Amino acid sequence: MSRFVPLAVLILALAACSKQEPSPATNAAAPKPSGQEAPPATVSVPAATDRNPGAELARPSAEPVSSAAVAATPPQPPAPAEPATPPVPAATLAAPDGEALFKKTCATCHQANGGGVPYLQPSIKGSAWISNPDPQLLLSLILRGSAILGEAAKAYDNDMPPIDAPTDAEIAAIATYVRGRFGAPPVTEPVTPAQVAIARARPGLPE
Amino acid sequence: MKKTPALFAALVLGTLAHGALTPAANNDGLILPAGFHAVVVAEKGKPLRNIVVAANGDIYANTPKDGLVAFRDTDGDGKADEIKSFGEGGGTGIALHEGWLYASTTKEVFRYKLTPGELVPSGKPERIIKDLPNQGQHSAKVFAFGADGKLYVETGSPSNAYGGKKDRALGATGEDPTEFLKTYGGYWRYDANKPDQTRADADHFSTGHRHSTTIALNPATGKLFIAIHGRDQLNTVAPQFYTDDDNAENPSEVFHELTEGANFGWPFTYWDPNTSQRKINPEYGGDGKKLAEAGKYPDPLIAFPAHWAPMQLAFYTGTQFPAKYQHGAFLAFHGSWNRAPKPQKGYRVAFLPFDEKGLPTGKYETFADNFAGKPVLESTGDADHRPNGVAVGPDGSLYISDSQTGRLWRIIYTGN
Repeated sequence: MSRFVPLAVLILALAACSKQEPSPATNAAAPKPSGQEAPPATVSVPAATDRNPGAELARPSAEPVSSAAVAATPPQPPAPAEPATPPVPAATLAAPDGEALFKKTCATCHQANGGGVPYLQPSIKGSAWISNPDPQLLLSLILRGSAILGEAAKAYDNDMPPIDAPTDAEIAAIATYVRGRFGAPPVTEPVTPAQVAIARARPGLPE
Repeated sequence: MKKTPALFAALVLGTLAHGALTPAANNDGLILPAGFHAVVVAEKGKPLRNIVVAANGDIYANTPKDGLVAFRDTDGDGKADEIKSFGEGGGTGIALHEGWLYASTTKEVFRYKLTPGELVPSGKPERIIKDLPNQGQHSAKVFAFGADGKLYVETGSPSNAYGGKKDRALGATGEDPTEFLKTYGGYWRYDANKPDQTRADADHFSTGHRHSTTIALNPATGKLFIAIHGRDQLNTVAPQFYTDDDNAENPSEVFHELTEGANFGWPFTYWDPNTSQRKINPEYGGDGKKLAEAGKYPDPLIAFPAHWAPMQLAFYTGTQFPAKYQHGAFLAFHGSWNRAPKPQKGYRVAFLPFDEKGLPTGKYETFADNFAGKPVLESTGDADHRPNGVAVGPDGSLYISDSQTGRLWRIIYTGN
């Protein structure tokens, strides 16, 4: 029997990283990120003709995030269904390579240096969406694409499609990487797969 | 013998003009064939799109959002001494026709009456076409005048490969484009003079393309030629069939003759330059190998490397350049963004030789290079310059505009 245990552990580990949306019950149990100043659903809209190549995406007009918000502990994923299985130490799971995933998934449009392409795709250097200490805005943008920006998305020609095919762990790795590289100032707090699961389960921007 | 005085005058004038021109040190960093030199006409500081040069040497440029710009060199040294902006909005297309300056925005075509001596037209613009689909993506509206005097205007497809909500994303699935292509992805033919025309006044001339920002009339034959931007992100949409390398080199940017009723095969197909075959897009069941139905769509007359982004095309009508350039056209390539993670390429002006029948030979050669200013370009925004417009001046000089900093060059031939 014992030789089956590693397999069971692997399955659970994969399940934890799965891109599957949490069940409705899990949704209900997952508290919303607390303590943050929620940005309004609408974001500032640049003039329709303003296609300045250097321009950033319209910034969400969020208030500065309080230190309490930064310290707020993100909700944890539900405990494994089988309590008999020993929990897997996080360190033993190979974390996805955020830089490699960025190059594969994001750099095509936003370019390897994050500088974007004039008129087509925005620069993400110092983006307010990336720099916000709370990752939920960024995760919503990644998972839902530029549709969540509404009119502001028209500042650039190309729409960003929803990037929802990668697993929660992969998206967490991408978000962690871009926050560390392009955040102004860089955000070093890692984004967790559980935070991605919350963003995935939510229909739009954080309330 | 009768030609001798005219030829003599042309030579003297040519010599005088060149004698006064001051080429930039090191040709401003551009790499040109032997005997050619670059003069910096102006640096606008803001992006320039397509350009045209009038018979008196005045240069007109369209811009992405700052209306039109006129440049005049008053003392013959090649540098613009007067630079004036006029008109509103922004756009890409610009052309001269029977004493009028025509320019397009993303939804209209206007024209201004040119009066001798006036750099900026004093009259109000006449709107020739209105209510073009202003679709955001691929919204530039280039145009040209045919041998029939009609106005041929492009409307791009606001799409990559008509992949529905996942267009450009993993697993994008193609939808039926029949209705879509009634509005987008083709050229439409209008009257050149009738004001306020809409689509109802136009003939739907060609269909089945993604976006074309290249159209010009070959004055030797009266035929129109276009180039088309190929689709992006094969490796993003279908990584099971396409590697990063496959995407960096696929599909071709293609060059075609624009003929009535032509269908160029988008969104179902693309042209693979490695195998010289037309293949099915992955959105429509392609797997990198599956071929399109033979003969259904025209083969390209020239297949350019992927993602180079062909922009303005200008047939060489002058006599200043050596004989080999006097049967052919210059084409500005804006340069790639979609080769990532491979280095970006294409930032150049190419020469396309045409044969005695007025058809392209199928080959092209780099004429002016190093606009990006770097041997290896990782990201588009790091390019110093991006060629956008090309036009031939009355003395046979070739003008090139830049969409990065708005630099304008005049390329001359001295032979040494």
